[in-house]
Amino acid sequence: MWAFALKRAGAMLVTLWAASVIIFAFIHLIPGDPIYVLLGDTATPDQADRLRREMGLDDPIVVQYFRWAGHALTGDLGQSIFFQAPVASVIADGAETSILLATLTMIWVVLIGVPIGVIAAVRQGTWLDQTLSGGAMLMASVPTFWVGLYLILIFAATLGWLPSSGYPSIFEGGLGNLRYLILPSLTLAAPNAALILRLTRASMLDVAREDYVRTARAKGIRPWQVVTRHILRNALLTVVSAFGFTFAALLSEAVVTETVFALPGIGRLVVQSILRRDYPVIQGIILVIVVIYLVINLIVDLTYRYLDPRVELQ
Amino acid sequence: MKSALKHLARGAAALTAALFLSAQAQVSAHAAGVLREATIGEPPPLDVMVTTADVATAIGRHMFETLYAWDSTYKSQPMLADSERVEDGGKTIVIKLREGVQFHNGKEMTAKDVVASMERWGKFGARGKLLMASATSVEATGKYEVTLKLSSPNGAWKNLVSDVNGGLAIYPEEIAAKATGQPIEQKDYIGTGPYKFKEWRPNRYVELEKFAGYKPRKEKGDGFAGARVANFDTIRFIPVPDVGTRVSGVQAGDYDYAEMISGDLYDQLSKDKSVQVQRTNAPIFGLFFMNSKEGILKDNYKLRRAIQTALDKSQALRVSFGSKDLWKAEGSIVPKDTPWYSTAGIDGYSPHDAKKAKELAKESGYTGQPIRLLVSTNYQAHYDQAAVFTRQLADAGINVQMNVVDWATLIKMRGQSEQWDIFVTHHSFFPDPILFTFLNASYPGWWDTAKIKALRAELVNSSDQAARKATWDKIQALIYEQVPVMKVGDAYTYDIASPKLKGLNPNGPAFWNVSTK
Repeated sequence: MWAFALKRAGAMLVTLWAASVIIFAFIHLIPGDPIYVLLGDTATPDQADRLRREMGLDDPIVVQYFRWAGHALTGDLGQSIFFQAPVASVIADGAETSILLATLTMIWVVLIGVPIGVIAAVRQGTWLDQTLSGGAMLMASVPTFWVGLYLILIFAATLGWLPSSGYPSIFEGGLGNLRYLILPSLTLAAPNAALILRLTRASMLDVAREDYVRTARAKGIRPWQVVTRHILRNALLTVVSAFGFTFAALLSEAVVTETVFALPGIGRLVVQSILRRDYPVIQGIILVIVVIYLVINLIVDLTYRYLDPRVELQ
Repeated sequence: MKSALKHLARGAAALTAALFLSAQAQVSAHAAGVLREATIGEPPPLDVMVTTADVATAIGRHMFETLYAWDSTYKSQPMLADSERVEDGGKTIVIKLREGVQFHNGKEMTAKDVVASMERWGKFGARGKLLMASATSVEATGKYEVTLKLSSPNGAWKNLVSDVNGGLAIYPEEIAAKATGQPIEQKDYIGTGPYKFKEWRPNRYVELEKFAGYKPRKEKGDGFAGARVANFDTIRFIPVPDVGTRVSGVQAGDYDYAEMISGDLYDQLSKDKSVQVQRTNAPIFGLFFMNSKEGILKDNYKLRRAIQTALDKSQALRVSFGSKDLWKAEGSIVPKDTPWYSTAGIDGYSPHDAKKAKELAKESGYTGQPIRLLVSTNYQAHYDQAAVFTRQLADAGINVQMNVVDWATLIKMRGQSEQWDIFVTHHSFFPDPILFTFLNASYPGWWDTAKIKALRAELVNSSDQAARKATWDKIQALIYEQVPVMKVGDAYTYDIASPKLKGLNPNGPAFWNVSTK
C-alpha cells in the first residue's frame, strides 16, 4: 500500500512537469496579450510595446517559462497582472468558494442520485422506473444557466427566501453564508445527480445478474438486504470513481453556474483570466487543478481497495 | 454503508433547514451605509492615468480627482483648480490650485504634486501625449500655482484635464515621481476624492470608504463638477458578469445599482416598480475602422464609399440595442445639442442604396474580392452590427468575410495591418473631437493622408472655438469622403438602481451626492 502510494507520487511529479510545459506553451500560443486589456481600447501600439517590455512579456517564451517554473518550484506562482496580488492568494480565495460549492453539490448528488437510482433499478421496467429515468434525462438536458436564472427569479427575486448571487466568505460572516450556495449547488446538482442516478441504476442492474446475487436470494436473505448488502455495495465501485471525477470537475468546471450566481470561484476566475490573458493566474490555476485531479485519482484508487478487498494495488 | 448514508442524509437535512431559517432572517438585512454596485466584471488595476477601461474609471473616479471636471452638459468646471490665466496667445497656462485639499494620506495637495502628476501623465498616461507632447515646461510657480508652457496653443487643454479616464488624475508627488508605465500598486492608490481605497478582494469586490478629510467645493454638484458629498460610508463594486443576475440582484435587493443592462430588457424594466432606470446622457457609438495602411481598402475611397452607401444603420442599431429610446441613427460624429454637432457630409451616413453601391464598387475596380472584417463576440453589439452589415453588403455584391475572435485577440490582431480590412469597436462620448482615436495616426486604421494631417494640426493648434468648429466641419466632411471609419450611430446605455436611491448622477455611475430616500 505505501509502496504503491510512493510510486504513484513519483509518477505524479513527472505528469506535473509535463503538464506545466503544456500549460505554458498553450497559453502563450493563444493570440493576444494582457497589455491592451490593461491599457484600454484607446492605447496606441507604442504605448503598448513599452509596457510589454517593462513587464518582460516580450522576452522569448523559453526565458519566460524558466522564470515562471523556477519560481513555481519554490512555491511562488507569481503575481496576477490584473489583481496586483499573489496568484496563490487569488487561487486560495477562489478555492474556498469552489470547494464548498462542490461539496454541497456532491451532498445533493449523493442524496438524490444514489437512492433514486437504487429505486429505479429495483423497480426496473415499471412506470416508476420510466418516470424516474425520464425525469433524470430531463434534468441532465436542461441547461444550467436556465435552471440557475429561474431559481434566482423564484427564490430570490420573487419569494426573497435566499440571496440572488455572490458569496461572502464563511470566515467573515459565519456558516450562515452557506445560504448563498444553496441555489447554485442545486443548479449544479441537477445534471450531475441525473448522471449518478443513471449510473447507479445501470450498475445495479449489471450486478443483479451476478451468480452470487442469485445465491444470496436462494439462501433466503431478505430482498432489501440483497439489494443493499450484495448489489449496492458492489455497484458502488463504478459510482465511486464517478464521484471522484464529478467532484474534480465541479471544482474547476462550474463556470456557467459561477457566472450566473456571480460566485468568486475557480471556474469563473480561470475563464476571466483567459479572456484577459492574465498568464500567471491561468498557469497557476491549471497547475493546481492538475494536482487536484492527480490526488483525487490516487484517492479513488485507494478507495477501491477499501470497497473491494480483492483489488490489488500494484 | 446504509447507516453512513442515513447520517449523511440527516446531517444534510439539518443543515438545509438551518440555512433556510438563517436566510429568512438575514437576506434583506445589509450593513447600513453600504452601497453595492454590480459591475460588468473585474476591473484592471485602478491606475486611471494609464488605463482607459471604463470599469476602472467608474471606480477610480471616486478616489482620484482632476484639475477640472465636466458638469452635466460636459462643460469643464474647476475641481482641484481654483482659476486659470491663459497668456502668450494660449501658449502659457497658469493654473491656481484650491488650497486646503487633502490627500488620503493626510498630506496637503500642492503645486509639486500636480507637476509630478503632469510629468508622469505626459510620459505614460493614456491620453497624456495629446497635451504634453507640445509642453516645453511645467513648473510649480508658487505653492498653489502651476505654469504649463506649450510650444503651440492647444484649444482642447481644459477638456484634456477634466476626466480621470486615461487622464490627469492628481497623485501625491512621491507616488507620481517614481511611477512608470506599469500600473501603480494598490498601496499607492492615494488621491483626493471623497472616497478612499480600502481593499480589493479578487473576484469578490473592490471596496472604497468615505474619506473623512474631504472638503467639498462650494458650488452645487452638477454632473461630475461641483460639490461631492459622500453619503455612504462604504461603496462596494461587485463583479457580476451575467446581466440577468445583475437585474434580479437589484430586484431582490442584493445590489443597489447595476450597470450596463441589455437593450431588450429596457421596456420591461421601465415599467418595473422594483427598479429605477437610469439612461446615460451621453451616447457611445460603434465604429467600423478601415485599414488605411494595407489591403484592398487602403486608399480606395470609392470602394469605401460604396460600402457605406449599401448600409442601413438603423437596422443594425435596432438589432443591437432594441428599444427606440436607446439609439439614434445620427450621422454627425458628435451628437446634437453639443457645440461640435455638424451636418457636413452626413448625406453619406446611411443611404441604404444597394444599386448605387454596386455602381460605385464597379467604378472602384472591385471584382468581388473578399473583404476581411475583424469583430469580437465579447461585445454583442459589435457582432450584431457586423452580421447585419455583412448581409446588407452581400445584397450590394460586396463580399465580406467575418473573422470572429475574442476581444484580447482582436486588439492584438488589429495592430497587424496585414490581418484585416475592417475592424469593429466603439467609443465613448468625448466633449472635444481631439480625443477621437481616428484622428490619431498611430491608432490601428492609421489614417494619415495629407488632407487630414493638415486639418488635424489646425484643430489642435488653435484655441479659438469658432475656428476649431469650422475645422471640425471640414474634418467630418473628409471622413465621409475618405471613410477612414464608419460611425454606426448613437447608443444610450442604461443602468438600473434600487428605487430607494436618489440623486443619481446623469453622467454615469458616480455615487457621491447619492443617498437613500
